[in-house]
Amino acid sequence: MLMILLTSVTKRFRNTLAVDNISFKAKQGEIIGFLGVNGAGKTTTMRLLLGYLNSTSGKISIDNLNPLKDRIQVLRNVGYLPENNPLYQEMKVDEYLTFIAAVKGKTILRDTIDQVGLEDVIKSKIENLSRGYKQRVGLVAALIGNPQILILDEPTSGLDPIEQEKIRKLIKKLSSDKTIIFSTHILSEVEDVATRLIIIHKGKIVYDGKKPRGRGGVEKLFKKLVK
Amino acid sequence: MKTLYKKELQYYLNNPIGYIVIVLFAVFANFLFVKDIFVVGSVSMRSFFQLLPWLFLIYIPALSMRIVAEEKRTNTLEVLLTLPLSETQVILAKFLALVTIVGVSLTLTLGLPVSLSFLSGLYLPEIVAGYFGSLLLTSFYISLSMFFSSQTKNQVVAFLLSILALFLFTVISTDVTASILPRSIQDFLVIFSPMNHLLNFIKGVIEVRSLFYFISGTLVFLFLAVIDLEKRE
Repeated sequence: MLMILLTSVTKRFRNTLAVDNISFKAKQGEIIGFLGVNGAGKTTTMRLLLGYLNSTSGKISIDNLNPLKDRIQVLRNVGYLPENNPLYQEMKVDEYLTFIAAVKGKTILRDTIDQVGLEDVIKSKIENLSRGYKQRVGLVAALIGNPQILILDEPTSGLDPIEQEKIRKLIKKLSSDKTIIFSTHILSEVEDVATRLIIIHKGKIVYDGKKPRGRGGVEKLFKKLVK
Repeated sequence: MKTLYKKELQYYLNNPIGYIVIVLFAVFANFLFVKDIFVVGSVSMRSFFQLLPWLFLIYIPALSMRIVAEEKRTNTLEVLLTLPLSETQVILAKFLALVTIVGVSLTLTLGLPVSLSFLSGLYLPEIVAGYFGSLLLTSFYISLSMFFSSQTKNQVVAFLLSILALFLFTVISTDVTASILPRSIQDFLVIFSPMNHLLNFIKGVIEVRSLFYFISGTLVFLFLAVIDLEKRE
């Protein structure tokens, strides 16, 4: 089932061309690794998909809906973990998750809290948590309501290798009935988790296809395309 | 929207500073009125209602400065606007939460008319109209402060700009401007003076043009804040 469709999408911020005429499709069950250097256009593309930003030109469709015109409807079915994971630091973990769930009109999945390992800190203030725990809070918030589309902007950023591994396993486990797009700088993460690879460079998609086979294949391809 | 309204209210109610600010306002408002009451020798709430805009000049920008600016600075605005909430719902929820907080603060001054009623008979419609007018003034000032909060990521800048704007609005029909500006300009500016419109309420008169002034002024600044959220580039 086709969930995401971008056709010739361009985004310009005054004199900066952030996204340059990109097109791609994403189906249910796909885990797309979105790879690119800083400023390549990954976050802007994700924000365009959510209707958070308006494209300068081109067409975007999420589950046959326009994310700008039908923003509220689209966002009911999308989970998003923003870059740097902004959270309300003054809130407790359970208060924050209850707030997000209430706004979405959904309930919190206790399973997800257990899987991510948040149960020990559920009554703690977010400002007192480590970066790893904060990242988990953001991830659980994105998963509230069991959305069909997950957009994760650097989901393992700032986590130690053990925590990174946990999050990767969770993403893989979730992928069967979802479309997942995640951005990362960690090439091995794409190798491990993604079923498809999109490399974006200077706002253009320079690669869209299967992951190269073999260890280090993604790294070689990335270095070749992004010089 | 109700959820966000509750969250915003809880920010002030779960925070000791919220209580301190509310109580400080109530203490100042009560004290500044009571200290002169026996000097004036008149049992009327008029001087209290005339005093309120000057207290709001600091109080409302202090409460409102963080409301959007902090969300922009910490990027939690991106969290809010990628949830199924419209920009209008975000601004309205925040606005209503602030109006509730200031409304609670005003409630803490209700002891004044009750106490005065023991000294002498008070004209109740005048009191009711005075509080109603003050609440409308509050809404107008909050919307204006929220507009400035939506223009920047810096709370201090939002606070200072709000104070400046509220000060200008407050003084445009006072003796200060009357002594500086020509009569024709002064007469024109009086139309935009919240003090001038509040005066009608203080006298116990609810005029349609004053209602229109406060409601339309509030809506204009809320609308401008919504527009700013919609731009978000």
